[in-house]
Amino acid sequence: MFTSGLLWLPYTKRGKVQTKIARRFSQNSDSRCNKMHQPLSLFHKWIQENNELVNKWKEQEGGDTLTRDQNQNHTCLVWHSSEFHKLCRKIQGIAPIADHTQLELTVVYNAGVCLIAQSQFLEAESLLTKATERILQMTGDGPFASDPPVFWKTALKSVGNTALNRCVMHLLCLQWAIWLATCKLQTIQELQNELLSVFETLSSGVWDEEGSAPRTKSSDIALPVMDQRRLIELLQICTFIAQGAERLSEGRSSEALSGLQSASSLPAPRTLISYTHLLSGSCLAHMSRPQMALQCYRMALETDSQCVCALYQSMLIYRQLGNTQAEIQALRLLHSTLMLPAAKEPSPAGVHLLPSSLLLQSQSLSSLLSVPSALSVLHSLALKCVLHERVAEGVEYYLDLLAALHSEDQHGVHAAGPPLPKLPELYLQAGAALLMARRPADCMALCDEVITTTLELLPGKVVLKEPEECEAETRALCEEVEDGVGMLLWVGAAYLLQGHCHTHLRDWKQAVTTYTRCFNLLVKVRFKKRGCQPQIPSADMMSMQGTDLCILQRLKGLSLAGRGISFTQTDQLREALRDLQLSIQAFPGAGLWCGEVLWRLGRKQEAVACWERTWSFTPHFSELSLAVYLQEPQSGPLLDSTELRRRIEELSPI
Amino acid sequence: VVIACPGPVTDLVESHDKRFLFVACACRVYRVSSQLLESRYEPSSRRWRDEFLSIFLAFAEEGVLSLLLVGSVLLTLSQRRSSWTLTLYGSSDYEVLRSVSLASGVVHNETGTRRRPPLTCVRSSAATPPPSASSSVSDGCLCLEPILFKRLFGIDAALAKSPVVLCGLPDGRLCFLPLRPPGSRLAVLHSLEQPVVFVGASGVTDNGRGHARCLVAVGEQGKVVLIQAEKGGAEGGADRTGFTEGCVPGPVACGCVDEKRLYYSTGSDLLVLDLPEESPERDGPSVEKSRVTHAALQSPSSLNVCRVLALAPPTREVELLGLSARGQLQRITLPVDRGDAGWPNAPSTPGGRGVRDLLSAIGDVCERAAALKAAVKSKNQILRRLNQVLNICFLLTADTNTGERDKPIGCRATASWSRLLEEDSLTLTCVLDNSSPYVLERGWTLSVAASPLSGPPAAGGQSPSAHFSFPFHGLHPGETLEVSLPLAAAGQSSLPVTASCSLSFSLAGLLGEEAAALPGLQPGCVSLPLNTLTVDWLHALRVTSPAHGKTPPQSGNTSDAIQAFLRSRRMGCGGAAEAGGERGRHAASVRVSAESLRDARALRASDADAPPDVGLSLLEWLLSEALGGVSAGRRRGDGNVVVAEGRRGEEEETTPTAVEVQVESSSVAAVCGLHHAVLTRIQVPEVTESGALSFSMVSRERLLQRIQQSRVSGAFGVGVSTGTVCQSLLSVYQELRENPLIVI
Repeated sequence: MFTSGLLWLPYTKRGKVQTKIARRFSQNSDSRCNKMHQPLSLFHKWIQENNELVNKWKEQEGGDTLTRDQNQNHTCLVWHSSEFHKLCRKIQGIAPIADHTQLELTVVYNAGVCLIAQSQFLEAESLLTKATERILQMTGDGPFASDPPVFWKTALKSVGNTALNRCVMHLLCLQWAIWLATCKLQTIQELQNELLSVFETLSSGVWDEEGSAPRTKSSDIALPVMDQRRLIELLQICTFIAQGAERLSEGRSSEALSGLQSASSLPAPRTLISYTHLLSGSCLAHMSRPQMALQCYRMALETDSQCVCALYQSMLIYRQLGNTQAEIQALRLLHSTLMLPAAKEPSPAGVHLLPSSLLLQSQSLSSLLSVPSALSVLHSLALKCVLHERVAEGVEYYLDLLAALHSEDQHGVHAAGPPLPKLPELYLQAGAALLMARRPADCMALCDEVITTTLELLPGKVVLKEPEECEAETRALCEEVEDGVGMLLWVGAAYLLQGHCHTHLRDWKQAVTTYTRCFNLLVKVRFKKRGCQPQIPSADMMSMQGTDLCILQRLKGLSLAGRGISFTQTDQLREALRDLQLSIQAFPGAGLWCGEVLWRLGRKQEAVACWERTWSFTPHFSELSLAVYLQEPQSGPLLDSTELRRRIEELSPI
Repeated sequence: VVIACPGPVTDLVESHDKRFLFVACACRVYRVSSQLLESRYEPSSRRWRDEFLSIFLAFAEEGVLSLLLVGSVLLTLSQRRSSWTLTLYGSSDYEVLRSVSLASGVVHNETGTRRRPPLTCVRSSAATPPPSASSSVSDGCLCLEPILFKRLFGIDAALAKSPVVLCGLPDGRLCFLPLRPPGSRLAVLHSLEQPVVFVGASGVTDNGRGHARCLVAVGEQGKVVLIQAEKGGAEGGADRTGFTEGCVPGPVACGCVDEKRLYYSTGSDLLVLDLPEESPERDGPSVEKSRVTHAALQSPSSLNVCRVLALAPPTREVELLGLSARGQLQRITLPVDRGDAGWPNAPSTPGGRGVRDLLSAIGDVCERAAALKAAVKSKNQILRRLNQVLNICFLLTADTNTGERDKPIGCRATASWSRLLEEDSLTLTCVLDNSSPYVLERGWTLSVAASPLSGPPAAGGQSPSAHFSFPFHGLHPGETLEVSLPLAAAGQSSLPVTASCSLSFSLAGLLGEEAAALPGLQPGCVSLPLNTLTVDWLHALRVTSPAHGKTPPQSGNTSDAIQAFLRSRRMGCGGAAEAGGERGRHAASVRVSAESLRDARALRASDADAPPDVGLSLLEWLLSEALGGVSAGRRRGDGNVVVAEGRRGEEEETTPTAVEVQVESSSVAAVCGLHHAVLTRIQVPEVTESGALSFSMVSRERLLQRIQQSRVSGAFGVGVSTGTVCQSLLSVYQELRENPLIVI
């Protein structure tokens, strides 16, 4: 990892040195021009013009890139682009001459780089093709195929081993960049051999050229706006990364892995190296080797500490492995990393023009690299904590989340990803967490807010439709109806939580009132089966969990049970028995209390039967999959099972 | 202090603490300290401008149109190439917090200037503690009734107690963006389908809560949308948000609302619209209610204040601030009692203020009256002109129906050679003669289409024709208009040329400049044909103008031009004629019977002092006659190129039976052209005469019989040798040669 970092240093220095040399050259040529009092030849004039443009750009780029705003940079780029184009047109205005070709191709290269940097790929492509055709016509070759790979193959062949070879290769590099940026990996694959040879030639040969450069007359060399060697290295690793991502998304993990691993030793910026590690990790995860994948993610993080995606992916693996503590730890790290202000890494000169993000635009890669927003991470962290017995911590996270939602700070929102649940949902979850943490007053306040906001909007009558039917209808109408049901369920849940709070505070009377409100609200919902009239849903209509109907039944059961328990506490046993018996149909957990009431009423045999039935009952879905506010309250009066069993034993001898 | 901004200012907002002024101008946003504006510091303009650019620049934003300050966030709405972008900046460090884009739709008003799209902020009144003032405006945000707020912007925004930014785009969409919770999207609330001019809130309840119950949006073409929360009917219809649309007349320039009324300016008047009062029980039959609402939206009442460009909402009960197009800041006192007529009542406050107000009201009325008077006057003018046009139309069309009488409006023409820019060209001088009793006013155009009768077809396959139009500024009865148009440079034209004259009138000219600027206006045009003139070879070979009488002054210039012209014709004939030179002189002759000639001359009785010499007079007539309106001068055979003259040989006989006109030239084209010209001229009077048969026709028929005979015998080959057939044909030929056809 460090080697790659070190490798980059000399490049930066070299860039500066080059700039200085170039500046001196241009000064020299200026002074000479003044002394001689005679105009330069057209050829030299063009070279001078090109070099001035390049130097201007480099000066700009080398300046305060961090403070410069994006807008200004862009206008500067547009200006340079048009200037290079003008120069290019001037040069191409005369018939191709062998002496000028090198200059012409360098100017075309510069113009092409500027166009690509502005994402004008089509224009750049036509520029490159036309320029190459022009040069090749000069060498006397016939018409060329319109198919790009064939065109470039013949172009390379016809140039052969002449001095032009290198220039054409540079143009091919730009074409390569265009293919990469427009995700034409198939074409790159077709030309794999040629591109590889180009890579080898250019990455090995530049040094020689540089060594011989001072020997030739300095002003005869047109400078490139972006170092070609840098470009080809960038292209090489970006191609590996894009190909890896593509293969991974197609399910060819092992193929992808080999390419990525070879790419990880290439000289490249840290960010790209960390991408190779990250993608290798994803490949390994796909090949069900979670531990090795974790290793890779770690390497990615070590290479580039900004690589949050690696953290996120490791979190997903921990979740998959069921390692909750590690998952929570990863979530916490991820959140704090996301909240850090993104440190602007000073990128080496010459890379501003074509940043790697421009070359890596494939859908599959961006989906692999996507990370949910900080708020979304905070929410999962809070929920995980609450569900896994770290309630106090979870409550803090929830409060942080709500505070963040209310603040005007919009930091860390830009990331795409799953949207946050609706606010009332978050409020209810936070309320449930607060209740678990024995802070009923806070919970009540949150629920109050949900109720006051939503109550006004509740429709008078709600019809809940079967999901299948719902899909058949128009989507908009369906959403509207769902919205009504959703709001009603939120208010119901808020009342339920408030009831729990009152129970927790042993304010039985208030609890009964609140549970009643909840229940009254819920019976407004009619269920509509296909072809039938809307009806009040009965307990036997249990449907898939997670649907509105399931939540509705659960709410009904819990509210009835809660009211029954409250009645029990105030010794209104008849009412308690009625409520609990009704509740059992929707929520079997109330069976114990039902037995208790029966016991107190002296119907001991029935009570025993009731208890036995409850114990033998296995819930057909896990409580964990339900929303946190729909779970059985743990704070109210509890019945001790051993005590009940003792009672049964006492009863049985008789 | 006067600050010169570097470009047109699109928007201006004041910070909440009134210490700064944010100015959006020329793709940049500047922050100017208010203290500076109040100071007496007078900077030198040039340096000041540079300082302004550097010191006050807050940030650059491409295409910024509107600004809004909400809390510590500064919002900008800008128009980029194909999208609207709402960008949130922290108002202290101008860091971009967020940027939301919406693809721009069709902008309806393309001709209009870039107007500032309204950008406002809305809060739920439940989210803010009720402000002490009864105004619905608190820190720049409108306070909206919670239920309406929730309906419109969702529960999330309500729970987050978020301010919502409303913006009315020039493409008619009314969009909103809740600032919280983070990640909420820009959504479209409604579409007015015309540029949104104003967004505000009205219907403030007076029970001290201070929130508005109605959101009002006004479009440029007068569409008014009221957005209210509606309670569903008793029969259980769901509650919903009511969008009531109405239309008020006139282009709306600006608007503002107070508790019950919408004020808007159409530029020519300031109008008040009573917004429909929401009934307290809110459960009337919705159909009737919407009808009432609609009726209310139909009837704005006028305040008689014109040219108001911007309005500030009433600060007190009865006062409105307006900025007029003339730069006047007006305080408009509103009528207190809506019962009486819509006339600004002078407040009962004593003294000079009442008088001042009255005077200003009178001034306004005067201004309006003057504008109306001018409009009526210009309309009368247009009607009068239209009447003239119609008269002329009827005059010219009636003539074509009744016959070939001379039209009261007609065109004459003279062809002459002139030298322009070192090049000789044949110029046709048309004279439009208005002998009708009507004036041809501004808006009429004389158009002349010159098209060669025969010529090389142009690339499109049509014969090339040139169109000339001469708009003129009024031609009174008896006046003439003379225009010149180049027919052709020497050597380029192909004669003869037909020039069709017509008069046309463009209706767009009637309506004046403002109508002509309308993009959708189809230019309606009345075109009346006048007459058709022919310019042929004889005109082209004219040496003198008729004004000079019969003595031709040999103007070298003109004859040079004719020489050049003829030379070019010869070139056109190809090398053979050139090589032929003097040898190959071509000739053609036309014979005219003396009788018909005499008749023809009798027709021209005015020519009383015509010489008895028939041949000479014919020649003179040919060259000078004004047939078809083109008059040509007398011409003698000029030089070695063309000879066209009456054969005196024929005249020597005591009773000349015919006059022969012979055309002779070395150029075939010249001969053909002249021959054609002579023939057409002679034929035209013949048509007018009684068609007497010539005796020579009889002899021609005899000859025809002889030819047929010899052909029949030749075909059968019965006893007749080929020699005799040849003999017979030769004799026929000789007879034809000796007695050429005489035109009668």
